[in-house]
Amino acid sequence: MSGYLEGIMVLLAVNVVFAYGGFLPLAAGQLNLGLAGFAAIGAYSSAYLSNVLKLPPLLAIAFAGIVAGTVALIVAVPVLRTRGIYLALATFALGQIVQAIILNLEIVGGAAGYPVAAFIRLPAIAATAVVVVALVWLLFATRFGIAVTAVHDDESVADLMGIDVRAFQVAAFALGSAIAGVGGGLYAHHFSFIEAQYFNISLSITIVLYVLLGGTQTVIGPLLGAAVFTLLPEVLRASANWRYVAFAAALIVLMALRPEGLVTGAQLRRLLGLARTQARHAAVATALPKEPSG
Amino acid sequence: MLGSIYAMVAVALTLSIGVLRFLNFSIPGLFMIGGMTAWASLRAGLRWPLAIAAALVAGAFASLVVERFTWRWMRGAQDFVPLVSSMAFLLLFEHLAVIYWGSELRTVPPLFANTDWRVAGLVISLPQLGGLVASIALIWALTLALARTRLGRGLRTIAEDSDTALLLGVEINRIVPVLFLISGLFAALAGVIFALNYRQVQPFMGEMVGLKGISAMIVGGMGSVWGSIAGGLIIGLVEVMSIGYFGADFVDIAVYGLLLLILFVRPTGLFAAAFAGQRA
Amino acid sequence: MSAADPILRLDSVSKHFGGLRVVEDLNLAVRRGVRTALIGPNGAGKTTVFNLITGVFPVDAGRILLDGADITATPSRLRIGHGVARNFQNIRLMPHLSTLENVMVGQHCRNRGMGGVLQPVNLVPRNRWREAARAALADAGLIEYERSTVGNLPYGVQKRIELVRALMAQPRLLLLDEPAAGLNPAETEALQAQLEKICIGGLTVLVVEHDMHFVGALCADVIVLDFGRKIAEGSPEDIRRNPLVQEIYLGAPVAQPMERHSARSA
Repeated sequence: MSGYLEGIMVLLAVNVVFAYGGFLPLAAGQLNLGLAGFAAIGAYSSAYLSNVLKLPPLLAIAFAGIVAGTVALIVAVPVLRTRGIYLALATFALGQIVQAIILNLEIVGGAAGYPVAAFIRLPAIAATAVVVVALVWLLFATRFGIAVTAVHDDESVADLMGIDVRAFQVAAFALGSAIAGVGGGLYAHHFSFIEAQYFNISLSITIVLYVLLGGTQTVIGPLLGAAVFTLLPEVLRASANWRYVAFAAALIVLMALRPEGLVTGAQLRRLLGLARTQARHAAVATALPKEPSG
Repeated sequence: MLGSIYAMVAVALTLSIGVLRFLNFSIPGLFMIGGMTAWASLRAGLRWPLAIAAALVAGAFASLVVERFTWRWMRGAQDFVPLVSSMAFLLLFEHLAVIYWGSELRTVPPLFANTDWRVAGLVISLPQLGGLVASIALIWALTLALARTRLGRGLRTIAEDSDTALLLGVEINRIVPVLFLISGLFAALAGVIFALNYRQVQPFMGEMVGLKGISAMIVGGMGSVWGSIAGGLIIGLVEVMSIGYFGADFVDIAVYGLLLLILFVRPTGLFAAAFAGQRA
Repeated sequence: MSAADPILRLDSVSKHFGGLRVVEDLNLAVRRGVRTALIGPNGAGKTTVFNLITGVFPVDAGRILLDGADITATPSRLRIGHGVARNFQNIRLMPHLSTLENVMVGQHCRNRGMGGVLQPVNLVPRNRWREAARAALADAGLIEYERSTVGNLPYGVQKRIELVRALMAQPRLLLLDEPAAGLNPAETEALQAQLEKICIGGLTVLVVEHDMHFVGALCADVIVLDFGRKIAEGSPEDIRRNPLVQEIYLGAPVAQPMERHSARSA
């Protein structure tokens, strides 16, 4: 595999992980504009663990995810008492604060950035991404998925149905942040150098936008959004800046015409239903005895 | 000084939120457009009044584009859609700026050489004074307009209840663009003042500076113009104090820490004075 | 008259919103297994009573006893676990869940802990919760809609789905807020048949309704509210003849006899 192609695939994998980090809170009805901050926590803690404590990269990344998730859990208690726009702003402030704190942490390089010694390649990164996607998919195939969607759709009725709204919101928020942390760790250990300036509000916004592009109604939406964001510009050979311009313009048009994103729940159900019906027909057809001709 | 810049951005934000319940994330982008257009115009040889005018026109125009594609196109859509579109616009403006002007930090040539005055131990330059005067004048004009003119009444009616506003004959489709125009002007002017005073512009200056206007808006009170002014001054003061006590690197932590604190403790802001029917 | 104590009792319950006294010193009891109607003019506080029972609002004064247990201070989330389920006047199904998933939301209170939440209900083909929900839908004649987006379904179908969702919680007391509103006569008859069928199992139903024919056909007890107070109670016949009730229901049909409709329709 050429270096160029490997680079694209790595980027795709990292973006996919980030996408699921953004998807989890959005599925519960929350906008986490501090995603980049949690990615930064993951990146820097995994880098520190592998640089200083000499942990193997994948282990460091796993721990970093836990760290990011734990921080999210701690701040979730006050942050999730806010609602709607206030929640988005609180997460925004959080992301900015994390970025500012890291800029001041000389132990991890401060404003000069932090080089990362250990290096991981596509197979490890892709495998991690696959694990993340599989875990989220599994999670949403349980009652968790139904409950979280219920919370997203109608908090008061969900509450009356016995669903602990706050608990699910905290869980979605913490899990999403942990996943974002893992993404940050993957990024750190492939691009070998991280700086706080990278984990800014633009990154948070970009991630949220490509999750919304794919659609938050299904588990496959974020994957699609990350793929379109990463791969389409490559196919069109767009420069780094024009890809953002095109992406932003596409989002604006999409929000006007089809705010649910590219994949909706109804569509997916229809597709799956169609597949199941066809499978059933095929099974029936093969099971039936052949009709005598004539 | 920065306080008045934050106040202007906060006013731009607060108008959108107060009247349309819409957090317009493109406003830091408009801030940048104002600042960079001013720089580009000066670099192209325009005299400063024209440069400032060009910057304001650019900001206003961009704001109207945002209006057309976030608000007008999708009234009645889900709550978060305009916010998301405005975020996309921020990205759009930033990267168009990089494409057009490059991503480096640019220096704005000094406008008036050696025009500093000493007043009671403080050094005030002409651009600073000009900026201060301009912001005060504009904000004052705005508050007058909101209170006295038909436009202002229309805006306040929409803020209370957009359905009633329709019934009362308020022409939403005519007034809302004016609102965006005003927001755009305020944001762009703030960018110009920043450019002329701090003499540095770059495509991401909206994120560095303009976003703090959000902090100012919330601290002062979402939806309140006076609150935004107070918020801007407070944030400016917090910055100066944190530089003094903790050093320049701590500034962002202080500003956003304060935002977070206010959101936890008193989300409606420090000054409960409502713009109009604030239903936060 | 059943000998057991009432399944629901409100003791001197009051609720104010600002200066408005919506429910005032209300005392009512719903007998176990008896289909009861709660009627009254608009603004009498009927939906508020439902909201108080389910915990949407806390009471300002008084007690609510469900099957003997004092649930006055119980958080709203836990009340469905105590056995009271409801539907909503304006249908509140989850737009992003399929019909089947909406019905499965109703099971949540019975399947709550970590083990319950992490049950792979949508993954394992023969998951018992999913099958139970499908069976309930089939029972109600709605299985064809199991994968549909609820928002696109006809109003009457959505109402029936909401009812199935409430029943999934296996409540002892079912609160129905205007279940017949917006239904055509055929649908109303079908609803009545369905309610009579489910009540055989011992479920108590408390219905808020304006359709007096429906009430007369379905319910044995009627409680009348006005301005947040109970002003009358008794059988539909008693209520029909009650002069106080006739007075507040100016314009309501007074003279027609209310017969028990035979609900054996197609």
